[in-house]
Amino acid sequence: MRQYIIRRLIYSTIILALVSVMVFGMVRLLPGDPIRAAMQANVDLTDDSIVQEVRARYGLDRPVHVQYVMWLRDFFFGDWGISLSSGEKVSEMFWRRLPVTLELFVGATFWAWLLGIPAGILGALKRNTYADATVTTFAIFGVSIPSFWEGILFIYLFAVILRIFPPSGFVPFSDNPIQNILSVFMPSFVMGTHAAGTLARYVRSSLLEVLGQDYIRTARAKGLKERAVVIKHAAKPALIPVVTIIGLSWGYLVAGSFIVEFMFAIPGLGRMGVDAIFARDFPVIQSVLIITALNVLAANFFVDILYGFLDPRVRVQK
Amino acid sequence: MTNQTQDLEPRRVSQVGLRAIGRAILRHKLARVGLVIATLLICMAIFAPFIAPYDPNEQDLYNVLSGPTAKHWLGTDNVGRDLLSRVIYGSRVSMMVGVVATAMSATIGVFIGLVSGYRGGKVDMVIMRITDTVMCIPGLVFVLVMAAALGPGINNVIYAIVALGWCGFARIIRGQVLSVREQPFVEASRAVGAGGMRIMFKHLLPNSMAPIIVAATITLGGTIMLEASAAFLGLGVQPPTPSWGKELRTGYTYLERVPLFSIAPGLLITAAVLSFNFVGDGLRDALDPRLRGEGKKQ
Amino acid sequence: MNNLLLNVKNLKTQFLTDDGLVRAVDGVSFDLYEGETLGLVGESGCGKSVSALSLMRLIPNPPGKIVEGEIWFENRDLLQISEDEIREVRGNKIAMIFQEPMTSLNPVLTIGRQIAEPLELHRHMSKEQALGESVKLLGQVQIPEGKTRVKAWPHQFSGGMRQRVMIAMGLGCNPKLIIADEPTTALDVTIQAQLLQLMKNLTRDYGTALIVITHNLGIVARYADRVNVMYAGRIVEKGTARDIYGDPRHPYTVGLMASVPRLDQDVKTKLLPIEGQPPDLLHVPPGCSFNPRCRYAIEKCHQETPELVKIGEKHEVACWVDIRK
Repeated sequence: MRQYIIRRLIYSTIILALVSVMVFGMVRLLPGDPIRAAMQANVDLTDDSIVQEVRARYGLDRPVHVQYVMWLRDFFFGDWGISLSSGEKVSEMFWRRLPVTLELFVGATFWAWLLGIPAGILGALKRNTYADATVTTFAIFGVSIPSFWEGILFIYLFAVILRIFPPSGFVPFSDNPIQNILSVFMPSFVMGTHAAGTLARYVRSSLLEVLGQDYIRTARAKGLKERAVVIKHAAKPALIPVVTIIGLSWGYLVAGSFIVEFMFAIPGLGRMGVDAIFARDFPVIQSVLIITALNVLAANFFVDILYGFLDPRVRVQK
Repeated sequence: MTNQTQDLEPRRVSQVGLRAIGRAILRHKLARVGLVIATLLICMAIFAPFIAPYDPNEQDLYNVLSGPTAKHWLGTDNVGRDLLSRVIYGSRVSMMVGVVATAMSATIGVFIGLVSGYRGGKVDMVIMRITDTVMCIPGLVFVLVMAAALGPGINNVIYAIVALGWCGFARIIRGQVLSVREQPFVEASRAVGAGGMRIMFKHLLPNSMAPIIVAATITLGGTIMLEASAAFLGLGVQPPTPSWGKELRTGYTYLERVPLFSIAPGLLITAAVLSFNFVGDGLRDALDPRLRGEGKKQ
Repeated sequence: MNNLLLNVKNLKTQFLTDDGLVRAVDGVSFDLYEGETLGLVGESGCGKSVSALSLMRLIPNPPGKIVEGEIWFENRDLLQISEDEIREVRGNKIAMIFQEPMTSLNPVLTIGRQIAEPLELHRHMSKEQALGESVKLLGQVQIPEGKTRVKAWPHQFSGGMRQRVMIAMGLGCNPKLIIADEPTTALDVTIQAQLLQLMKNLTRDYGTALIVITHNLGIVARYADRVNVMYAGRIVEKGTARDIYGDPRHPYTVGLMASVPRLDQDVKTKLLPIEGQPPDLLHVPPGCSFNPRCRYAIEKCHQETPELVKIGEKHEVACWVDIRK
């Protein structure tokens, strides 16, 4: 088992390294000279010698691969650069906004599990009845509706008309717990519905597949009640592919957060990312991309470990 | 004795049949609905100039942000353009991006996947690590950064989507190739002297079409979603070209004043994505072998 | 003379598929005595597995349904008792061993757990007791080192060993009847012999009746006391192994015997396959379902379906023609 963990860890590290190269490359493609952007606010651009000096300071006069290594080294030691838009240290921005986005993620996951898992189970157990059809339709709906539209509808209904939730803005938990929950409710729900739809479909298909297996027939032939068959024999094998999806979903919540934080004016990492992309704020973009990839890799890593615990066959494989 | 049996059968048959028939209708129903909607939207895109009542770019600054009226069924936008026409023309962007990006992703992805699966070894490993790397960044984020990097315009959005989209197809076809590769008919071809490419295209590819078709349909939906999301945030077509995502963005700004503005484009995006997902789902069910446990005749 | 254990009367099981109604079991009647080994023979699709599953009411609904018949076991008609009651019979009084050992065991549960389960359920043993008993059962099916093996996972066992585990699982509650559905088809020939001998010994030691379902005539000849030959959902001939092998009377049985190589035949004897195609269960011909392939068919065979008629002490056949003539 330990071998398995180590293998996964090495693999993730390699991919992370490749991602860093990719991110570096992508950001370099962005138009606009970072120096000019940085200096716009402060210095007269016509003086070329000053430009050269600042360029040297940022290390932009060195060859590309050296810049890459410099960037990696700095990043590893916590220096993520300075935001070109606000002048703040990127790492400070990150740590300030992380809890906000994390709260959204947790909320979204909560909704996804609450709605998705029971729906999927229901669909599988009541296969081909109207209940199943309803579940499947709602699941596909959840996946198909654009989160920004869903957000708009919710805002209109609950904030404008019914005035239950605030239409936008974020109140930290430490300031006012109730307002915090209210301000986070809609955004996390919107983020969660997409994942809920995916989860429902996968839970349903996974459970159905397991229920069709021979060993379920064996379990029934032993005289077990249907309920015991499902819980003792079907649940664990069915859970295995579902766990993988849950891991992937966590990683993809980032994309949802970009839109949702933007719409609901939530000062989280997603909003930071969107603003940075439009402002061509390279240091921030780079850091956001790396963190996003790290998030995805970490989620997949944990899921793989969990997989190893659930499925004994995996531990022996290459 | 025979008569008794016949009495029993019709009653029994109807009890068993209800469920089976329900299933058939159900599955096909969803896919059918999806197909109908998708066809309508594609027609809307193709025949936009004939369907739209106004020129989508014609401004009427005396008639700004009106609600639905007799002249403008969906009202006007913030510079007086007819919303209905803009929404109809918006379908062109979405459909075009969807079809083109999916086709390109599929072509590139299938080719790379074939090579990767068939060659195996180092080539396969490298290609797979590349797909792993690219897929580490969630779709929307990747597309936003890429599109921002490449520059404004809808073409760059398409390239950005393709740069990510090929991975899914490559993986699917690679999986197919791996399972089909060891089968006897491939060995037979090799024994006769067929080369790699020939085997890949003539034998491996046709046998792997089913999952590709399903993936393409679902990718189409996803692409439309990506384009609309990017447009909502501000990337994509340049003004004044209408796009559903962009219209929705404007609508959001004026939400309280003219709520209808936000309903129409969003509804259409949902309908487009939904229809392709329904069709893809139906296709997948039809092309998959029957789930076990049903109809065992032993 | 042993007591009557199982009495099946006119069992009919049908499946409603997209293509139509399949009469998988179309009026099957037979009996079984305590401790007896009955062979149920026929080609794929003849309804033998469905018959077995019907005995335990394990037919998936949809799309299948037992539409008629009586299954008398321990003074009760198994088709009429409640769901709770039939569950008490399954794994307890009647146990079943399935064809595919590779997929019939749950991959995420240990062997011990799976063998212990019916023990806890029906014999109300505690976890420890059941585990101890599982170790003993593994010994009975000749899997050594039971104490460690009990914690193993199915994927660590070979096909033959998994089938032994299935047997151990079946024996746990000391059932009156074990139904083995093609128990050895998926295994190597050498393993097949071992396994069947094991089953025969165990059933003899425990006094368990055994129904062996197979298309392998060799197994049946060696291990079965009596044999039922099935075709297209009906039993066409019944008899002792000697009757069936030495004096087959139904054209289908004759065809089966002639199509299998025998050690006592001359090497040059040709194998005679049975002409025609296996029956399409969606469109069964009127009269005797074997008539399209039967070389002895007469007019009556196309019109009326023959019933089983006694022609010897334990020998019955359903045919309008006496093929000896």
